Amino acid sequence: MSSSHAYPHEPTGVETRKLGMWVFLSTEILFFGTLITTFMIFKGRDFPGIKLTDVYDIPFTSISSFILLMSSLTMVLAHNALEANDQEKTRVWLLATAMLGAVFLAGQIYEFTEFYHKGFELGTNIFSSTFYVLTGFHGLHVFIGVVLLLALWSIGQRQKGLSLDGGMNLEFVALYWHFVDIVWIVLFTVVYLI
Amino acid sequence: MSEIHIEHPTPKKYVQIAIVLGVLTAIEIALYYTEDIVGVFTDPLLIILAVGKFVIVVGWFMHLRFENKLINRFFTGGMILALILFAIVMFERASANFF
Repeated sequence: MSSSHAYPHEPTGVETRKLGMWVFLSTEILFFGTLITTFMIFKGRDFPGIKLTDVYDIPFTSISSFILLMSSLTMVLAHNALEANDQEKTRVWLLATAMLGAVFLAGQIYEFTEFYHKGFELGTNIFSSTFYVLTGFHGLHVFIGVVLLLALWSIGQRQKGLSLDGGMNLEFVALYWHFVDIVWIVLFTVVYLI
Repeated sequence: MSEIHIEHPTPKKYVQIAIVLGVLTAIEIALYYTEDIVGVFTDPLLIILAVGKFVIVVGWFMHLRFENKLINRFFTGGMILALILFAIVMFERASANFF
């Protein structure tokens, strides 16, 4: 059974680095909140050029969404394995998470390419610009997450193993990864389904 | 160093949570394709499902439900500010017309 720790010796009762990570995620909520708000201003209005609803592929995006959702499971299993000090399982789940993230990214690149071929480009109209900025920034976050996961996996391979006390902490990368997932949960509904 | 330990769920529990998330996603997609039948309830239901998935991931996978109140306040504070921003802009969009 895994456990989390409280820090009574810290003035806040929380590990400072962990608090810092949550504050960072809080600012990221505002960042994506602003992008989503901008997207929603222009959604549903008539603009010249092809519409998003004419080009998107819901079955394909649904599978991508499911893959990213399941990467949160593999991430939490990696965290759980490290708390149990099972280094091998930690590395396996970390690599699985990075691979699922890479598959999601490949899907997004394919989707963007298809949209471009069908005429829904960054400069088609202001709505298409907000779409690419919003989903593109999310993709950039996924890419950074994959790099962090592979870096952690590489550190785990080369050194004696990962620890929850190190500077490059799996817990913080896990928090970042789950955050990327919850942003997509919102985007999938707001951008594609509604 | 004295530490207070809070027990987290087991891997089996995490898999069960992931299955629930998968089922909720399947319901979302089904709702999208049955919009003609569900009608005006489609969008509210989709929002409720997305909020449900969001809360499950934040609460269980990010362990927010097991965390210190200070962390909860920072996270919900960010959420509230983003929702206020969204509400103000959407109100302006509806009432003043941006174009």
